[in-house]
Amino acid sequence: MAIKIIVMMKQVPDAEEIFIDPVKFTLNRAQARGIINPSDENALECALKIKDQTGAEITVLSMGPPAAESAIIECMGRGADRGVLVTDRVFAAADTYATSLTLAASVKNLGEFDLIIAGESTTDSGTGHVGPGVAEFLGIDQATYCTSLHIENDALVAERDLEDGTEVVSIGLPALATVLISSNIPRRAKLRLKIDALRKGIEKWDHDTLKLPPEWVGIKGSPTVVGALKIPEERKRAAKRITVDQLGELVKELGGMGLIKTEEEEA
Amino acid sequence: MSEFDAIIVGAGPAGSSAAIKLASSGLTTLLVEKADPPGSKNVSGGIMWGNELGGVLPDWEKDAPLERYVISKGTGLLTSDSLISVDFRSRKFESRKTGYSVLRAKFDQYLANKAKSKGATLVTGVTVDGLALKDGKVAGVIQEGDEITADTVILAEGVNPRVAISSGLRPEIGDKDVAIGVKQVVKLSEATINERFNIRGNSGFAGEYVLGFLKNGVKAGGFLYTNKETISVGAVINVGTLRADNETHSFEIMDQFVNHPFISPYLEGGKMEEYSAHLVCEGGIGSVPKIYGDGYLIAGDAAGFSYSNGLIIQGINYAITSGIAAADTVIEAKSKSNFSSGMLRGYEDRLQGKYVLKDLKKFRGIEEVTWSNLAHKALPDIAEETLFNLFYEEGIPKRHLMEIVLSATKKSGVKKTDMILEAYRTMRRM
Ligand SMILES: Cc1cc2nc3c(=O)[nH]c(=O)nc-3n(C[C@H](O)[C@H](O)[C@H](O)COP(=O)(O)OP(=O)(O)OC[C@H]3O[C@@H](n4cnc5c(N)ncnc54)[C@H](O)[C@@H]3O)c2cc1C
Ligand SMILES: Cc1cc2nc3c(=O)[nH]c(=O)nc-3n(C[C@H](O)[C@H](O)[C@H](O)COP(=O)(O)OP(=O)(O)OC[C@H]3O[C@@H](n4cnc5c(N)ncnc54)[C@H](O)[C@@H]3O)c2cc1C
Repeated sequence: MAIKIIVMMKQVPDAEEIFIDPVKFTLNRAQARGIINPSDENALECALKIKDQTGAEITVLSMGPPAAESAIIECMGRGADRGVLVTDRVFAAADTYATSLTLAASVKNLGEFDLIIAGESTTDSGTGHVGPGVAEFLGIDQATYCTSLHIENDALVAERDLEDGTEVVSIGLPALATVLISSNIPRRAKLRLKIDALRKGIEKWDHDTLKLPPEWVGIKGSPTVVGALKIPEERKRAAKRITVDQLGELVKELGGMGLIKTEEEEA
Repeated sequence: MSEFDAIIVGAGPAGSSAAIKLASSGLTTLLVEKADPPGSKNVSGGIMWGNELGGVLPDWEKDAPLERYVISKGTGLLTSDSLISVDFRSRKFESRKTGYSVLRAKFDQYLANKAKSKGATLVTGVTVDGLALKDGKVAGVIQEGDEITADTVILAEGVNPRVAISSGLRPEIGDKDVAIGVKQVVKLSEATINERFNIRGNSGFAGEYVLGFLKNGVKAGGFLYTNKETISVGAVINVGTLRADNETHSFEIMDQFVNHPFISPYLEGGKMEEYSAHLVCEGGIGSVPKIYGDGYLIAGDAAGFSYSNGLIIQGINYAITSGIAAADTVIEAKSKSNFSSGMLRGYEDRLQGKYVLKDLKKFRGIEEVTWSNLAHKALPDIAEETLFNLFYEEGIPKRHLMEIVLSATKKSGVKKTDMILEAYRTMRRM
């Protein structure tokens, strides 16, 4: 029997089109078009590669507003078999804890699965919490920072890109893996598959589907409190051409600007 | 049996108008667009002239994303130091709207979504690779090796129609078929725009200019259109003369236009939101290929239906009209279950009946005038010299107007015989 893979996908505003409202300091997402979070494209591609090799049934799971439907259809156009959008006002404004919890509950509602693949992090909030969070709520093993995934003898073999090298791990199924951005080249959608996807449509689940206690989801289920939001100040850059014999002056100048300490000061 | 009654390649104004009409008439319609969302890569000045949309969407003026209606139409000649212009404003445009400024990203999405809501299958983010042929007839489209079948395919791919060209349905695009369009969208407050252009409410300004200050024979026109909270400003550059000159680059022409002493005050303090470049279809009737055949029709820019010559750019209206005419033809073909070339010929007849082909034929060769040395160099220089001398008070006896014109003409370096010849040509083409 083909293995069952769940790909977790978040629709994010196209980073190229986002801008920060200069008056209200909020992220203006309304004007940007929605795209698949980049590392989720790589996660989907990992799933599709497994499907190419050994066959797999791929479900795309996303929590978000109704507009996220187009991103799910795009995933199905690339080869995912089924799309589920978890969408309800009461899920809105969830922090990573509530998001992970709601997604874990959605996975349970999907029934049996072998592998969950998530992106490593998103381009709009980028906490990297959600993949590991879902694994924890489900109580399954996980492999993070993966660049490629294979199924061998009913186990997940994952290559992990770590600071000091590549680690290859094998973990038993069911498992969750998070995939790094740019770890593969995502394929493009096909017209045939997109027509099929539009005919088939996606499933929309709401609060009544999941039946979680209201105080566990959305803003009520979110323990994070945002204290303040700051736009990092643009670093001032300066360049100056000097010759070796001007070094002394430069040291004095930098000292005067408080950028370096000179010996006399230290003494 | 085909999978769809019609497949439309490209969800620009031509393709989406066709899809709205077909889907409203109950035909199974597939509209394929490579951009996602539709319009995100499309460029127009853009003023949509006329009421063509009324043919498929009677209420378009109420719900389409329109920026401002044109109440003031400017035409001008720019030299390095001067602007000679006519600004026609009329309250008559309040009750009888002649054109609206639109931003394609929003406008194209609106049209494509209308097609979808009427029942068309809208697939975005997918590029059609080619046409599927069966017994020498177009039987559908090919994408990544898959064949999707339809009784008729409408090619509405825009100015550089790769599918039509690669299928041998029309020749490659040449220098004389296109111009280069460069455009900026500049953000300003609504109040500032109203003040600078002397307009109010949702009325707007549309201006086109001959860029007479260009050197080395390069020819280009400039445009300046008001949107609600932005200004669209750009240049349409003649390809032949640009190619012939190694020193001028398209972006420099744009720079010179927006920094012109009498254009820059309109844009001052604005923030550039968008910079784009796109080909402009402008070959006129000479660029129109065979627009129908067994199982296919070509509409909009892909068919060369655009009227543009460095002074005026009209293409959206022709695209919509031809899209609707193509759809009407397919609807008739469907009712007779006949999709042969002989049946689809009705498309050309329909366009003859409308102004599309008539306009293009009537103004055959107009580009020789509007891209002429007379219009782009001599006229601006002569006008400047004449008006300057007319209004400049230097305490010497006044000369006759004709005398001033003649001396200005002489100074411009244009031979009198050439001038008469060009003037004659101009009269004939208009
Ligand atoms: C301090 C803080 C305050 C916040 N406050 C708010 C707020 O007030 N309102 C608000 O709307 N948001 C808020 N957010 C954003 C919100 O918490 C996150 O958007 C959301 O929880 C997902 O986290 P993330 O984007 O960091 O995902 P990451 O953890 O970076 O995502 C990793 C992977 O998890 C999967 N994934 C993540 N989200 C989803 C999803 N929705 N569906 C399917 N898969 C998913 C994807 O595979 C993704 O690649 C806040 C975030 C932070 C850090
Ligand atoms: C700078 C500039 C200014 C202009 N100003 C004006 C103006 O003020 N007023 C005016 O009326 N006209 C103006 N025009 C002309 C006008 O933009 C065009 O005439 C008009 O867009 C033509 O519409 P269309 O539907 O034929 O083609 P397009 O609008 O070009 O649409 C074609 C669509 O097909 C898609 N496509 C192409 N190939 C494929 C494929 N293989 N598979 C799937 N999809 C495909 C494209 O992505 C595109 O969305 C201007 C043009 C330019 C460049």
